[in-house]
Amino acid sequence: MLYVQVLVNGLLLGGLYACIAAGFSLVWGVLNVINILHGSFVVLGAYLAFFAYTALGIHPYLFAPIAALVLFGLGYAIQYTVVNRVIEAPVLVTMTATFGLALLLDNIMLVAFKADFRKINLVPPLGVVDVGKLVPGLNVVVPVDRLASMLFALLFVALLYLLLRRTAVGRAIVAVRMDRYAATLMGVDPTVIFALTFGIGAALAGAAGALLSPIFPISPLAATSYLGKAFVTCVLGGLGSVSGVLVGGLLLGVLESFGAIFLGPEHALTLSFSVLIIFLLFRPSGLMGKRGFV
Amino acid sequence: MATTLLEVTGLCVGYGDVRVLHEVGLVVKRGEIVCLIGSNGAGKTTLLRALSGVVRASAGTISFAGESLIGLAPQQIVRRGIAHVPEGRRLFAGMSVRENLLMGAYLRRGARTEIRRDLDLVLTTFPRLAERLSQDAATLSGGEQQMCAIGRGLMAGPQLLLIDELSLGLAPKLVGELGQALLAINRAGLSVLLVEQDVATALRLANYGFVLDTGHIVLADPTALLAKNPMVQEAYLGRAAVNA
Repeated sequence: MLYVQVLVNGLLLGGLYACIAAGFSLVWGVLNVINILHGSFVVLGAYLAFFAYTALGIHPYLFAPIAALVLFGLGYAIQYTVVNRVIEAPVLVTMTATFGLALLLDNIMLVAFKADFRKINLVPPLGVVDVGKLVPGLNVVVPVDRLASMLFALLFVALLYLLLRRTAVGRAIVAVRMDRYAATLMGVDPTVIFALTFGIGAALAGAAGALLSPIFPISPLAATSYLGKAFVTCVLGGLGSVSGVLVGGLLLGVLESFGAIFLGPEHALTLSFSVLIIFLLFRPSGLMGKRGFV
Repeated sequence: MATTLLEVTGLCVGYGDVRVLHEVGLVVKRGEIVCLIGSNGAGKTTLLRALSGVVRASAGTISFAGESLIGLAPQQIVRRGIAHVPEGRRLFAGMSVRENLLMGAYLRRGARTEIRRDLDLVLTTFPRLAERLSQDAATLSGGEQQMCAIGRGLMAGPQLLLIDELSLGLAPKLVGELGQALLAINRAGLSVLLVEQDVATALRLANYGFVLDTGHIVLADPTALLAKNPMVQEAYLGRAAVNA
């Protein structure tokens, strides 16, 4: 029964990882930019949710779309004004550019918000659901805040999928990814599409940040940790698809959850990075990796 | 007299220090199919790219429907009514035939009724695409891909369609089929600038032809005359032995 509980915990965590990684994977896939800023976007989203809750009393789950909107604007502006200047450069150059921006954003947040770990304590707390009461014999408890965060996170991932598959702009994003020249001939302006894509990536990070703010401590120092999650998720699931981040995120959540049980919580990260290295060696395309996006 | 739709004068285009087009002049009248023939590396594709705004001209003028296209971005040129069907089809793999066709109408977002009408028109012109609408475009045969690429161009609602290598890599029967479709589209009022290595096909479809050789226009005549021109026959139709 312990293992079922561990599995459930892992899946709850994995939904959030999928949401964190979705934007990172999109930007990497479409722009070929490894966006080091991504973890900082998550943290910024979490801070915005924190202040919205403590100062204005807006519930983090309600605030997630607003965080997404704010981060979209920020991401769009950063891409349009900064990253676009080096977009044609090799991947290391764009990575360095976003690394510099991440240092900048992290330190601005350190100055503005201090390094203290903060946490949203929902009042009233959402409590837990005892599955054992609903399904006799299945003694598993599900914390409601984690469940809600996971479901909203998956909703944002689903929205990304719908955006890419069902809208003209989404099609243009995929088209630019597949063949930038042909997309240009269709009248698509890649510069605008790149900025939109970067904005959408940041929006998903912001939403994920707001959603995890009631669960995890918030600190500018957590940015690299979230970036790591996004990176591992993309490698596990494979770059270039929404299904990939879904599979990768859930897998990473479960892996960490079991790793914490068997090896101790301090080695959860060791385990996930070991799996990352194994994947890079033996299956660098990930479980679902493919060309294109969606 | 048909009015002039596209007029190119003194166009010079190069990549870096390499000059590809030298003072090229070309005219497409409304309702015409004009072909541009020439051997590999003559600069045909570069000329189409310059018309689409993908590469910049270093000198010369391009006027379309009385308006200069020089300095315009590709999307502005598509908006003004020039659609470009690129060499090698370049469909978006991983996207369905329908999604590919809709990409052609990218700039007409919102004009739902017109898009639907044009989609119907494309599917009547190429019934085979109608059967494969939800299929991944990468899984189409070469001929179907070319139909999809032309259809995608038509979805922009253009006045002028640029087609780069209609027949490349296709069986003669399919080329004939595509040619018939192109003539039908042309009869419906669309002007076409066709770049073609298969000179016999090009001369059969077009009313007027330009011959491009190492970046210079060396001949410009109605296709009926071009077909009889000894130079064209010798260089592009392989009939030197017959006439000798």
